[in-house]
Amino acid sequence: MNDKRRDRRDVELDRYIALARQAPPDISGVERNFETRVMARIRESREQQDSWYAWAWRLVPVFLVLTLLLGGWSVLYSPVRPDDPMATLATGTQEVALLDNLTGE
Amino acid sequence: MCALGVPVAVPDEDAELVRTAIAGDDEAFTELVRRHKGTVLRSAARFARNPAELEDLGQETFLRVYRDLRSFRGDAPFGHWLSRITVHVCYDALRKRRREEKDVSLEVLAAPVADPSTGNGPSAQLARMILDQAMSRLKPEDRLVITLYELEDRSVREVAELTGWSETAVKVRAFRARQALKRHIGGDDER
Repeated sequence: MNDKRRDRRDVELDRYIALARQAPPDISGVERNFETRVMARIRESREQQDSWYAWAWRLVPVFLVLTLLLGGWSVLYSPVRPDDPMATLATGTQEVALLDNLTGE
Repeated sequence: MCALGVPVAVPDEDAELVRTAIAGDDEAFTELVRRHKGTVLRSAARFARNPAELEDLGQETFLRVYRDLRSFRGDAPFGHWLSRITVHVCYDALRKRRREEKDVSLEVLAAPVADPSTGNGPSAQLARMILDQAMSRLKPEDRLVITLYELEDRSVREVAELTGWSETAVKVRAFRARQALKRHIGGDDER
């Protein structure tokens, strides 16, 4: 019973497929002047890409100035640190010792 | 015409046009589009739901061709390379819209399939519509393989070349897709 049903369905599907093959999709409307539209889209995407590159190049001086300003600021306004890292630690320790002495601990 | 539906007499001219297009000649690329638009659109039309979608698929295919033109090595005809790109663009589109089509009603299928033994079957146009509806419920890879293997009547090897799958994978997928399609058309859908 199941086999018969399977056969009937295979035949049915084959019939649909054979009929569908006979009806080639209608592409005439889209085919007309298709190449013109494709080229227009290609030009459009090329222009978009070009404008992106142009913007990127235009932003280069801005970032350059920003980098120079940040560099100059860090040189001019950074606090002077002793060269010896142990001295830095010792300074911190002295402050703690002085605080302990003043508070009587 | 060769098996892939591509004119065999023009590969050298195509290769020359490709070279000229890579050099920046838009007119050469326009000529390539003019020559191959029919093949691409006929192939894509099996996957498109309406003319607007067909236009999109066609344009996307040629846009991708234009972008990847430099990767065309010329060891196979341009038409074969183009067919592979077309199939990949259509497959991508199928995967994108998979979620949208999950809720498609199959009411359209009920009437014509209800009486298959009368001999007064559906017209070719109706058959295509019914198949389209049923195929919209298939997984993208099943739909792709059914379209290429059954509707376009391509060989397993051609489908394998176009999709990049192995021949065994194509055979297995074609079998499973056919089973699924029979279930959908027959009406005892699992879902």
